Amino acid sequence: MKSLFNKLGLAITFSPTGKALLAEAKRLTELFNARLMLIHVGEKNETTERLLSESISNSGLDESTIEIIRTNGDPADTIIKTSRDACVDLLIAGALEKENFIKYYIGSVARKIMREAASSVLILKSPSETPKSFKRFYVSTDYSSESEKTILTAYNFALLEKADDFVLVKDFHVPGLASTIQGSGSLDELEAAREQWEAEEEIKMSLLVSELNLRGIKVDIRCLYGKEGWETGNYARIHNADIFAVTPPSKKLKFLDKLFPQNMEHVIKELPANLLIVR
Amino acid sequence: MSAGSITVFLLSISIMLFFAKLLGEFFTKIKQPAIIGEILAGVLLGPTVLGMISPDMLEWLFPKTGEVKTALDGFTTIAVVLLLLVSGIEVDFGVVLRHRKTAFSISLIGIIVPFALGFGISYLFPEMMGVQDKNIHLLFALFIGTAIAISSLPVIAKILIDLNLFKTQIGFIIIAAAMLNDLLGWLIFSVILGLMDNTGRSIGFGQTILYTIVFVVFVLFVGRKLINQAVPWIQSKLTFPGGILNFILILGFLGAAFTEYVGVHAILGAFIVGIAIGDSAHLKERTREIIQQFITNIFAPLFFVSIGLRVNFIANFDFVIVSVLLVIALIGKVAGGAIGARIGGLSKNESLAVGFGMSSSGAMGIIIGVIALEAGLIIEEVFVGLVIMALFTSIASAPMMSHFLKRKESFRLQDLLSPSNFLYSSATDKETLLIELANFAAPKVKIPAKEILQKVMEREKQGATGIANYLAIPHAKIKTNKPYVLTAKIKEGINFGSVDGINSRIVILLLTPENKNELQLQLLAETAKKFSNKEKIEELLSIDDKNIFIEMLKQM
Repeated sequence: MKSLFNKLGLAITFSPTGKALLAEAKRLTELFNARLMLIHVGEKNETTERLLSESISNSGLDESTIEIIRTNGDPADTIIKTSRDACVDLLIAGALEKENFIKYYIGSVARKIMREAASSVLILKSPSETPKSFKRFYVSTDYSSESEKTILTAYNFALLEKADDFVLVKDFHVPGLASTIQGSGSLDELEAAREQWEAEEEIKMSLLVSELNLRGIKVDIRCLYGKEGWETGNYARIHNADIFAVTPPSKKLKFLDKLFPQNMEHVIKELPANLLIVR
Repeated sequence: MSAGSITVFLLSISIMLFFAKLLGEFFTKIKQPAIIGEILAGVLLGPTVLGMISPDMLEWLFPKTGEVKTALDGFTTIAVVLLLLVSGIEVDFGVVLRHRKTAFSISLIGIIVPFALGFGISYLFPEMMGVQDKNIHLLFALFIGTAIAISSLPVIAKILIDLNLFKTQIGFIIIAAAMLNDLLGWLIFSVILGLMDNTGRSIGFGQTILYTIVFVVFVLFVGRKLINQAVPWIQSKLTFPGGILNFILILGFLGAAFTEYVGVHAILGAFIVGIAIGDSAHLKERTREIIQQFITNIFAPLFFVSIGLRVNFIANFDFVIVSVLLVIALIGKVAGGAIGARIGGLSKNESLAVGFGMSSSGAMGIIIGVIALEAGLIIEEVFVGLVIMALFTSIASAPMMSHFLKRKESFRLQDLLSPSNFLYSSATDKETLLIELANFAAPKVKIPAKEILQKVMEREKQGATGIANYLAIPHAKIKTNKPYVLTAKIKEGINFGSVDGINSRIVILLLTPENKNELQLQLLAETAKKFSNKEKIEELLSIDDKNIFIEMLKQM
């Protein structure tokens, strides 16, 4: 079977999560039978060299089998460019659980990577020095070809992990629906319409599963009515997902999209689980 | 208030609610907006009908001055503020941004054209519209332009749900454009209000505009985030729905009070606060519905009945004014919306449907009329004209929209099933049948039969396409722009691996465009749904005439 990811890239820092990230990357490199490239952005001197070597050897990685890129510049831009030039197909990075108000506007490394990396991205919410395999996979689904790719990638990942749960979640919202009450005063009509749409979506979802021919782990489907992009993430959060997989928007985000978040932006704002962005 | 006044006030409220509900329900039953019935209730209870029959009774129930009048006015002010608060809550920037190109084009041109027409005619011919005071020509014309340009989201939403179009691409575009129209319309209206005579106000025009901009920016960018943090806390810690309803009303009234203070009318504050609240992902759908019900069934009817109480609709009916308003509203709004939609990339029929959809000014046009009447900017004849225009456009938009959308190309299974795409087959194995189907479809979709067959066979290898109840749906994505559906009735059953183990006797080939995944799933779902009743399918199998067969299948 073709390897799911051939080359992993890890953006490394000397932060407290650095060690844990190395341990996670080591496990994933073995799981995918891939090569690993470490990208360290920062000043190159004796201390950083020594720290880097120590971190690598402590994590159990063999320095001779991994590629190490040391570079300077804006961290996010450098990581994105380096990984693109080196044909990395899964870029791994850590993220703080929740970032504060100011950081949102000045931008952060993880966010920029999530939005702009050319490859797939795995953002680890709380990496561990003794990593465990991911058992609960939740995938935000729509019916696009890109989303099919996300489902298939996440499914193959789940198969490698021998996961327990694989759930496809779809959210939808019909804006302005509540205002129909003003037209008729009837709540029944609105509820009937919503129930009918939910049923239609669930049928389409189950047809999608059979079209994709997913075999090995039972696939559950869940259709939710609510704010698009937010409901699926919230569902994954409530159900303690290990991996939440999403498809990035096909167009580059504009300022307004960040100001009034939609779809993946909700997830980026508040990570519901470890986030897999499939490109 | 004296005990006598309180009694009259409560009595008048109950009479208003009774008649509003009675006529509102009647209009709902005949598939028209309830607002028409509610306004008619006001016409019955007001000077137009009751005033003619018994002026004393009218004066006793709805006095023109005094405590009862003040109390009723207070009530209707609250109603207008709440109506705008819920309108704001329903605005969804996500959908507006997703359809920004088309939505901006529709709403901008949809505002500019009717505004220009309304403004131009009112400015050039003020005497025709009953304006004598030259000092208010400009303001009057600006008001008329805005009243004509604004659209009513609830009326549009109700039309979309009735036409089963809400959850479709065109539905989303119309809703996005209507939301943007609301926002732009109220902002323009606020600027006009700021321009009005500010005697008695504590601040000047420059400050009014400055404070308004600061308010809008603060609420939409900072307040929105704070509200989003507060909503989950309130919903989990306080009683539901009491806690969250209270929170929404407090913020709504605060916003309204602020904008009223700075001189741009309370409604703008309520509307902007509503947008900030409605944007919260944490706000439960149930909350939206409860607040809508609360306002729709209590405050909105009282406000709409009060419209009819204000003026005598017969005495103040001026044919010229009504005709001019109706003509400029219809031409301006339909043309503006349709041109905007066409520029935004929609087809001719879709654009005309959007134009008519956007033409309903409903409650919003009436609210502008009331404010203008209260401000002394328009005479009663113009007010009557604005109300009639709002009602007429609300009634006319649904059938016109439906008419043009029916002419639009449809990709629903219902419209794709056709006796000309039907064949009888005596094939006894799957491959022979699929070759037959591919040969039949090839000239229709202009793709070589070999290519169709290859794609269909690829899908067959992946998994069974037999469903149940004698149905199989072989399908494939091909290089085409439109979906194609071919129905075949098979003499003997063929094994397509159906879940119920029954051989398939009705085979429906679905060929869909490569890039339209959802369309394929939708057609598959629609087809499977038609075959849920085994007895009906057995009845269908007994039909030999292909026209009857397809007609019966369509009706399932």
